[in-house]
Amino acid sequence: MIHHQIATMKSYQYIIDYFENSPIIIQVVWALSCILLIAVVILTIYLKKLRSRLRKNEKTVAEYQKEYESDLITYLYAGNEEAEISAEQQVIIDKLRSCATDEFKRRVIVSTLLRLRNEISGEMADAIQKLYFQSGLIIYALKKLKSRRWYVVVKGIRELTQLRVKEVHDKMGVFVNHPKKEIRKEVQLYLVTLFHFDGLKFLDVLQTQLSEWDQIQLLEVLQRFDEQEIPDINPWLKSKNNSVVAFALKLAKIYNQFEVKDALIDLLSHQHKKIRVDTIHVLGHLQVVEAKDILKNNFDILSQDEQIEFFKLLENLCETSDESFLLAHTTNQNFEIKLSALKIIKILAGEKFKSLKYISTDDDYIKIYEFLEYN
Amino acid sequence: MNTSTVQIILTIIHLLFFIYAFFAIASYIILAIISAIETKQYMKKNSFVNYKEILSSTISPSISIIAPAYNESLNIIENVRSLLSSHYVNYDVIIVNDGSKDDSLEKLIAAYDLVKVNFLINQQIPTKPIRAGVFKSTNPAFEKLTIVDKENGGKADALNMGLNISNNQYVACIDVDCLLLENALQKMVKPFLEVTEEKVIATGGVIRIANSCIIKNGKLLDVNFPKKWIEKAQILEYLRAFLLGRMAWSRLNGLLVISGAFGLFDKKIAIEVGGYDTNTVGEDMEIIVRMRRHMEEIKEKYKVAYIPDPLCWTEAPDNYKIFISQRNRWTRGTIETLRKHRKIGFNPKYKSLGMLSYPYWLFFERLAPVIEVIGIIYFAILLALNQVRWDFAIAFIILAYLFTVLFSIVAIYSEELTYHQYKKKGTGFKLLQISVLEPFVLHPFILYAAIRGNMDYYFNKKKKWGEMTRKGMAKAQNN
Repeated sequence: MIHHQIATMKSYQYIIDYFENSPIIIQVVWALSCILLIAVVILTIYLKKLRSRLRKNEKTVAEYQKEYESDLITYLYAGNEEAEISAEQQVIIDKLRSCATDEFKRRVIVSTLLRLRNEISGEMADAIQKLYFQSGLIIYALKKLKSRRWYVVVKGIRELTQLRVKEVHDKMGVFVNHPKKEIRKEVQLYLVTLFHFDGLKFLDVLQTQLSEWDQIQLLEVLQRFDEQEIPDINPWLKSKNNSVVAFALKLAKIYNQFEVKDALIDLLSHQHKKIRVDTIHVLGHLQVVEAKDILKNNFDILSQDEQIEFFKLLENLCETSDESFLLAHTTNQNFEIKLSALKIIKILAGEKFKSLKYISTDDDYIKIYEFLEYN
Repeated sequence: MNTSTVQIILTIIHLLFFIYAFFAIASYIILAIISAIETKQYMKKNSFVNYKEILSSTISPSISIIAPAYNESLNIIENVRSLLSSHYVNYDVIIVNDGSKDDSLEKLIAAYDLVKVNFLINQQIPTKPIRAGVFKSTNPAFEKLTIVDKENGGKADALNMGLNISNNQYVACIDVDCLLLENALQKMVKPFLEVTEEKVIATGGVIRIANSCIIKNGKLLDVNFPKKWIEKAQILEYLRAFLLGRMAWSRLNGLLVISGAFGLFDKKIAIEVGGYDTNTVGEDMEIIVRMRRHMEEIKEKYKVAYIPDPLCWTEAPDNYKIFISQRNRWTRGTIETLRKHRKIGFNPKYKSLGMLSYPYWLFFERLAPVIEVIGIIYFAILLALNQVRWDFAIAFIILAYLFTVLFSIVAIYSEELTYHQYKKKGTGFKLLQISVLEPFVLHPFILYAAIRGNMDYYFNKKKKWGEMTRKGMAKAQNN
């Protein structure tokens, strides 16, 4: 035993001596190795705990979800016609109110409420919303709106949107031009989900750009609602914010807003090319004949994207008077324009089309012609 | 040469090795830190996204999935079914049968009720000619499917045919055997749609390894950790590369490569730059570098985005022969791309592309295996001359080894805190085990493949793609 201790001490001393007598760089390297080794050991232990915690969390969430779901269903069916809140309901409200003080449990309660809210409608859905107020959960959501962390604010707005809390509309105004785009997007969804077309008033004051993603989301929300009066989109078509104009163009197309054709024609001279191209697309969709001559007369100064879009418009609005214009473009350098021109001529003047077979030796021309000939 | 001159030369050599190793390790640490920050932000931002809305939107942008296929008869039917099962609304699938010698086309015709159609192709990028023709299904359930049968021209040529055929705004170029999750397209297209100040030219996705996973009807049912060391080690390697490397490069807007297995491109720009280069085996890296170069030259603000979500699962090599062949090709691809675009290297005109991304790839990707081998040879010479300072050698080897292990564990951490895909009990231990063993079971082969790649590049110019024998992910169902 003593021999063993002496041997251990000797080797320990040897290591100390070796370390002290080593060059400084070796000392640094060994010190770093020790740090890395300790880090590896700590992380290994922590990884084990982390994985167990993640597994446990999933299990706990599932258990709580089951419990709260059953409570919520009991609450929904325990309604008392005489009193506003039955005794059974009051027990559940008290339970939820007490559980809501714990953040983890609150998260599960809210997610369960939301899931249920999305699955039901009518009086039941109203009851869920009532419970949201009664259990005090709304207070926590409102607190989130005051957080300095953007993602907490987003969570708060989302929760209020999903539970259709219209009462906080005035509090949302401050977020419309918030510097964080995630907050802006969430508040836009709040306004449109709860106030439909009326909610679009934020476009009047929006100073930042609406991304394509935001626009698609807003339009998707709007399309869920029927029987709505479409507001006047003229002011948005004249907005200085290009993204608002782009969004208004989409509205004009989806809701067939033929009455804004004058504003659309003005947009043909917009400084932003993408807006001009989108405008031609909408004009084509709305079949605004006046646009055709304006574009035809200015064809040579249009960008290639506008020219291509114009030919798509012509596919809907062409007349025999356009024949010479079309003929001139059957040999256009651009494949799509050439295709459109020949396609329209075939529809408009079949005999003329036949006579065009050998007018060009260009490979693309021959390919397009042969394709159209047999299709 | 006198003794002191030799001594000075040796000291300089030692110093150069030291500086190189120092900067390599420092770059890994910096990239890992940036990745952690970026991942955290990404998770926060995307935890609120409702993908269902874009999913059902008819005004969502149109996407073509382009999948080249060469002798994929074994799994082609299941693979196409998987590609057709996306929940995105506005998309189509273009399978380019690149001169397969097997019965892929016949199988497809029979399975999907295909008929030859008259199809007008705008040949914006030159490709090998059409062979049997273009096919569409008579069954409305498969209306999104187009099959193009062309003469063999390689993967890049097949992708170019897909670019010519597509009528959509974006193209997702993928390997036909990849399994895409149902929400993969909407997640990948999001970066293109959410920018307002700049243009996103491409988005890269994470590639996950599907070996041993359970897949049924084109859907990933269960994620399993494979049994073979080579497969396990590749899982760890992919976690490190995607979660600790590319995430950082995305933040720095310096991504030079998007995996050929799954990437989404702005079709207009991809065509503007001339499509995929058919003269390189690293076409996936080359097109990104060329697109970036083009954007720098036209002075337009742009970004190459990256999505860390596990959206694309693929079969990784399960034996060393195929693995070495794959890595050999990757090495040649990197060399070819860096050589072809050497003009951008250290050129301030190309900003971070020329001054950061290119130098990093040159020093720490292209030259790393070469320098490592030089180090090994130098060590062997010292050993033969009995000149090894063992106190130095042992201390540095242990330090390097511990750093490697720690770095792998950090990657595992990153995975656990974000996507936590390997949930099963015991897998955590297996991941740790492979972190410790990976430097022995995988790294030597990577090094060997890289050196072979260098030799093949300089002395065997005829070598192109290696063979990848498909075991087939569908087989995993029976495992």
